[in-house]
Amino acid sequence: MKEKKQNITLRQLFRRKLENDEIMPDNAVRSKLMRRVARQEFLRFIPYRFNIFYLAGILIPAITVAGLVFATLHEKNTVSTSLPLSRISSKDTAKYFEVNIPEPERKPVNVPLTVQKKSEKVHPGTVPAGRQNTSASVVKKPDSLIEVQHAAVKNDLLERELFANGNVDSKKLQTSVIAVESLIKPESSTGCAPFKVRFHSNSVASDSCRWIFGDGGFSSDPDPEWIFDVEGEYKVVLQVFRHDGSTLTSAAIVNVHPKPTAHYEIMPEKPILPRDEIHFLNFSTNAVQCKWDFGDGTVSDSYEPSHTYSKYGAYDVRLVVFSDKGCSDSLVVFNAFSGSEYFIDFPNAFIPNPQGPTGGYYSPKSDEAAQVFHPSYSGVSEYQLKIFSKLGIPIFESNDVNSGWDGYHKGQLCAPGVYIWKVRGKYRNGEPFIKMGDVTLLKK
Amino acid sequence: MMSDQQIIKLCAKHNRKAQQELYDRYSRLLLGVCMRYASDKSEAEDILQESFIKIFFNIQDFSGSGSFIGWLRRVAVNTAITHYHKNLKYRYQVEIEEYETQETGVVSFEEDFYTSDELYIVLNDLPPGYRMVFNLYAVEGYKHKEIAEMLNIDTNTSKSQYSRAKAVMRDKLEKLGKLKISYKEENLS
Repeated sequence: MKEKKQNITLRQLFRRKLENDEIMPDNAVRSKLMRRVARQEFLRFIPYRFNIFYLAGILIPAITVAGLVFATLHEKNTVSTSLPLSRISSKDTAKYFEVNIPEPERKPVNVPLTVQKKSEKVHPGTVPAGRQNTSASVVKKPDSLIEVQHAAVKNDLLERELFANGNVDSKKLQTSVIAVESLIKPESSTGCAPFKVRFHSNSVASDSCRWIFGDGGFSSDPDPEWIFDVEGEYKVVLQVFRHDGSTLTSAAIVNVHPKPTAHYEIMPEKPILPRDEIHFLNFSTNAVQCKWDFGDGTVSDSYEPSHTYSKYGAYDVRLVVFSDKGCSDSLVVFNAFSGSEYFIDFPNAFIPNPQGPTGGYYSPKSDEAAQVFHPSYSGVSEYQLKIFSKLGIPIFESNDVNSGWDGYHKGQLCAPGVYIWKVRGKYRNGEPFIKMGDVTLLKK
Repeated sequence: MMSDQQIIKLCAKHNRKAQQELYDRYSRLLLGVCMRYASDKSEAEDILQESFIKIFFNIQDFSGSGSFIGWLRRVAVNTAITHYHKNLKYRYQVEIEEYETQETGVVSFEEDFYTSDELYIVLNDLPPGYRMVFNLYAVEGYKHKEIAEMLNIDTNTSKSQYSRAKAVMRDKLEKLGKLKISYKEENLS
């Protein structure tokens, strides 16, 4: 026996069935909710609960009191001497021993970089824009700059010790000063900054001597080695103090040429190899000749070359520059293009074949590739492409990177206009990608 | 057992036990409400959570006049609308005219032919804009003028969206119905 079922309207159907419907929420929802409520209550001022304002009200006075107590205690313990405990700088010792020794220039010119002393490892790729290279990602290899610094400091300290002990009678210094030629070897020398020169005095071993290098540095070594960091012409003076009290002086000239600075940047900053042509922008100073080594066996001596690599690889790019006086400097970036292997890009327009749907498979070399909307890519392992009309209607979908959109939907050629594409997937190294954009479908 | 009045008073003071009792008592009903507005259960649970946060922190605004359950429902519906507006920019807007609908002839329904689960599925399948209007008009019983205000649309838009929504619903329900019948027949034979 068939029961007579009443027919109702759509509205009644939904109202009756759903208005008082009950659904059991997941257990986790309750606990998540209560936790959130507790958190929110803490952050608001609610008189009935311990909240952040109460907390602040306790902490702030507590901290203030603690601070005051500490400050008063600290005052009682402080010693009256105000000498800092850091190492005594050369300026201080100079005052102490009444010898006027100016601070020698130690810093290299034009290099605001953090230099890594021993390791050859460099962060590849990013050579940032602008002349001020402040990142630690680039290693300069200046010619033995670092080792020398230690030697120079040592000389200073030695020198001060000598004078402090008062071995020399200052009166005697002034009385018998005899200018003597050729006490110094070499008599004159020329080089590129930083210029290391080994001086040799022709005096007897029993004499004590004092070298004045003319750039602010001194030495009491009979055969000192000195590095001239700054370009210029220096008169190096040697004073020999004999046992009989007489003094000999001699002078030599040192000519220091400025060093060029090798500096370059690549454009684009994050290129894709081998697709992109790399432009090397030259920011070197004082350079009249440039030699580039691109790391793939090719070289160039253009000022600002462009280069395309035949395949992706770890390339060390080196630039060596020379000044008009023959001084040189070099800059090398190891593995300059790492991380630029994988990409996926879509065109922004295409003209479908008006004769009918082609199924979307294309061979990259043939003409028909331009009639199918597809990406250029490298290293894609997972792929999903979706095409939507401008209004959001799904038109096409493909999970195969070799299958693009032929411009048809349900057998019909789609209207010319703008469509939206969305792609997601993974590169071979596991890195995921999501991109979207629009493409214009043009009429042939 | 606490009365609704007691629960309300204690929740206003953020009494933890009262809050938990309120949740236990009304979460199932409110999840049913949220379920209609969301695309799936987890989204519905998100809206449910948001609703309860609002309820706990605004319960002192419930003046006591009118039904408490009605007040709770309104909070849930408003939360669902806020949620919808927030997520608008992540959805593609489907123009009403573009949506392909077939005007089918199913105008009346047998009440017990569909389960509530099936109705949720059909609802969740609707584009969100349609779903909002349909719920508010057909189930909550708001007028188009009110709906227009709540959703920030024209009154006429509300009306036309509702009629389109109905058409889509009928179409889907008919398809679902045919499926159910053929399935039944298969089992009988």
